[in-house]
Amino acid sequence: MKRLFTLLIVLGLAFSVSAAWAQDTLVYGTTDKMSDIDPANAYDFHTWEIFYNTMDPLIGYVPGTSTLTPALATSWKANADSSEFTFTLRKGVKFTDGTPLTADVVKWTIDRNAALGGDPSWLITDFVKEVQVVDPLTVKFVLKNPVAFFPQIVVNPPYYPLNPNAWPKDKWLHDMSELPGQELTGTGAYKITSFTRDEEIVFEANSSYWGKEPNIRKIILRYFADATTMRLALENGEVDLVYKSLNPSDISDLSKNPKFVVAKLPGPFIRYICFETSESVFKDKKLRQAIAALVNRPDFAQKVFLGQVSPLYSMIPTGMQYQLNTFKTTFGDGNVAAAEKILKGLGYSASNPFQFDMWYSPSHYGDTEANLAEVLKAEIEKTPLVKVNLKSAEWATYKQQWKNKQMPLFLLGWYPDYVDPDDYTAAFAGTDGSKGNGINFSDPAWDKLFSQEQSTTNEATRKGLFETVQKWWVDQVPTVPLFQGYLILVSKPNVTGIKIGAPLIFLYKELAFKK
Amino acid sequence: MRHLFSYVLTRLLLAIPMVFILLTLVFVVLRIMPGDPVSAMLGAHAPEKVIEQKREELGLNKPIFAQYLDYLGQIARLDLGDSMIMKQHVSEPILDKLPATLELTFFGLLVSLGVGIPLGAAAARRRRSGRDFGIRLYANVVYCIPVFWLGLLLQLVFAVLLRWFPVSGRTSPRVTASAFSWSGFYVVDTLRVGNLAAFGDVMWHVILPAVTLGVVLSGIFVRLTRANMLDVLKSDYILAARARGVPERRVVFNHGLRNALIPIVTMLGLQFSLLLAGAILTETTFSWPGMGRLLLERIYLRDYPVIQGVIIVYALLVSAISLLVDLLYAAIDPRVKY
Repeated sequence: MKRLFTLLIVLGLAFSVSAAWAQDTLVYGTTDKMSDIDPANAYDFHTWEIFYNTMDPLIGYVPGTSTLTPALATSWKANADSSEFTFTLRKGVKFTDGTPLTADVVKWTIDRNAALGGDPSWLITDFVKEVQVVDPLTVKFVLKNPVAFFPQIVVNPPYYPLNPNAWPKDKWLHDMSELPGQELTGTGAYKITSFTRDEEIVFEANSSYWGKEPNIRKIILRYFADATTMRLALENGEVDLVYKSLNPSDISDLSKNPKFVVAKLPGPFIRYICFETSESVFKDKKLRQAIAALVNRPDFAQKVFLGQVSPLYSMIPTGMQYQLNTFKTTFGDGNVAAAEKILKGLGYSASNPFQFDMWYSPSHYGDTEANLAEVLKAEIEKTPLVKVNLKSAEWATYKQQWKNKQMPLFLLGWYPDYVDPDDYTAAFAGTDGSKGNGINFSDPAWDKLFSQEQSTTNEATRKGLFETVQKWWVDQVPTVPLFQGYLILVSKPNVTGIKIGAPLIFLYKELAFKK
Repeated sequence: MRHLFSYVLTRLLLAIPMVFILLTLVFVVLRIMPGDPVSAMLGAHAPEKVIEQKREELGLNKPIFAQYLDYLGQIARLDLGDSMIMKQHVSEPILDKLPATLELTFFGLLVSLGVGIPLGAAAARRRRSGRDFGIRLYANVVYCIPVFWLGLLLQLVFAVLLRWFPVSGRTSPRVTASAFSWSGFYVVDTLRVGNLAAFGDVMWHVILPAVTLGVVLSGIFVRLTRANMLDVLKSDYILAARARGVPERRVVFNHGLRNALIPIVTMLGLQFSLLLAGAILTETTFSWPGMGRLLLERIYLRDYPVIQGVIIVYALLVSAISLLVDLLYAAIDPRVKY
């Protein structure tokens, strides 16, 4: 009994520590995973989010928008044909160990990240021919080809200046224990002071930050194994906000609970159907058109996602420049009559239906994927002229199968590498990008068009080119856009300053507690 | 003593072919499964040249038999190799996560024994009574309950509705583990530095997962204890004790239970492997950062060396515990000699 009493006292102490928790610390829960803690090799949104908050770009976005704004560079300019970009660096910026930010540091970083050849190195090597130090505070990027949207590419972590006195030049780092002082310090608003993989990361305000001081001194990022546990932790008051990813049913429940605020943020994440266009049954574009006509977006958006996604009628997301709803105007939704007309023209009938395998990956896109595949199958089979064999494979297998052209029709999703319509189109219908995504679509006319839009900064010209691409898309149908995801962030009502715009950049320094 | 030494040595030597067979099975199964670490780790943009380079770097372009021989050579040198996904030696994540799993398993076992043995003894004491029926029903029900479902239920009731316990993790966010973590066994580490508040927090976090794991396995111990107690209670020395007027409570718990526990100790070794298996699901339900979660995550990533390493460690752990239990059996039962 005495022992039990002692245990209760100790547990009570733990409770009292919890109660004494000051409002200068925010606990944030996620089911995401962190990869290598090095911008030379990390290529996932969650690890990049950690870089956004501990390092700074040369140029960034105004929080919550897609508008570019100066950061470590106070200004930038392109030459006449957008083949050279010159950045002027901010004076007096230092890393936490006192190393000053100079043009040499920028060049050292870019050369390092390109040479290490990590997963995102293509964001440098595909575009940059050379980095030149003009003077200590001026750096020039000479590109391989003119690229109008290069500033949007520079916003990405492989371009973030690293401290040459802390980071090794010849290898990328896996975790913080390999850094001096075991602290991830950059030029950003926060520094990481404690890191336990898959458990938690502690961010503390960087006292030598060049910009505005963060509102919250300490952010604790807590990792959860699954969405259900994370939801329960939020309800139990263990975390202040959760982001990526809750189940649709959890979001639906929490949005009815006045103790929480559900923020639905426009996201550039899109989902679509891919066709293997070079060897499979879908080599014939008419069959691709028939499938495009049968898809019923409002139906699965409601049935599978409880209305938490938005139907998408172009590969370019809604709200982005040059977007046209060409799939809506051409095919509509669940247009069985149009599909049957095409299929009958190809000789298919109820007794001789068009049969194919439809593939999905059951866990990579969350718990809803199997439901999505089932509902899509039901939508497509609304006509007796089509028979779908549903098949699934885990992500590692799935990727190998699309490279081996083993999946005639498969479901994929896309987070952009840079916020420009080019990243939503050339990546799927340009010869190289299309091959990488298992679509294997190739047409010299399309490649020429992509090359033109990439090299011009003229708005009217780009608008015309992207309108043409979207019109061609409904004829050739290399992919069928399905929906655009919202980013859902659930928080306690006293958390403010949540600003995540289309580029998906979540800046913790904007967060605050309501007084 | 000499016999004991040769017994231990034989058991240790027998563990080698067991690990070898297990390792071979896991090695082959992993390689014949579609997908490989390269396709799991590289993004959609990766050019063929990069993929080929990576496969070569990881040795995946070699014939499977050559890969197997390389791996055996590595194991013979007691080297588990490097992770294919993360830039780390296989032992790093294992040593990092193993204490969390062992801590959870230890408390799970305590709950399992703490609930199972007294209930089993109580059932045997009043055979065929309402109490006996109720306890047997409990044992059957908990043994059938899926561990993740019980975990969710306990989370919902004791964490969300009653708010008595936390939902997940090993510590609260406000308790910085790096401030006291030394061996990875947080219960020990917090006591070592004399941080009672952190110790309380660690205990507060381990209760729900340990209860989840322990309750499910307590059903086995209820039935085992009850069956053994019923046998023991029929023994002559129990009859003699009763004839001498020893109070029934003492007869059952002091004389009967002690002797009934001997076969239960033997079962502990076997139950340990069940506890480890249950820990995989419990760790996922409670976001407990242990070996189970590590194994699941690395299976998705096809990180062959880490998966193989975790399985070797599991196999060695089960062998070591079985050996320990067998030795303990000899210590507590004078009839057993090695």
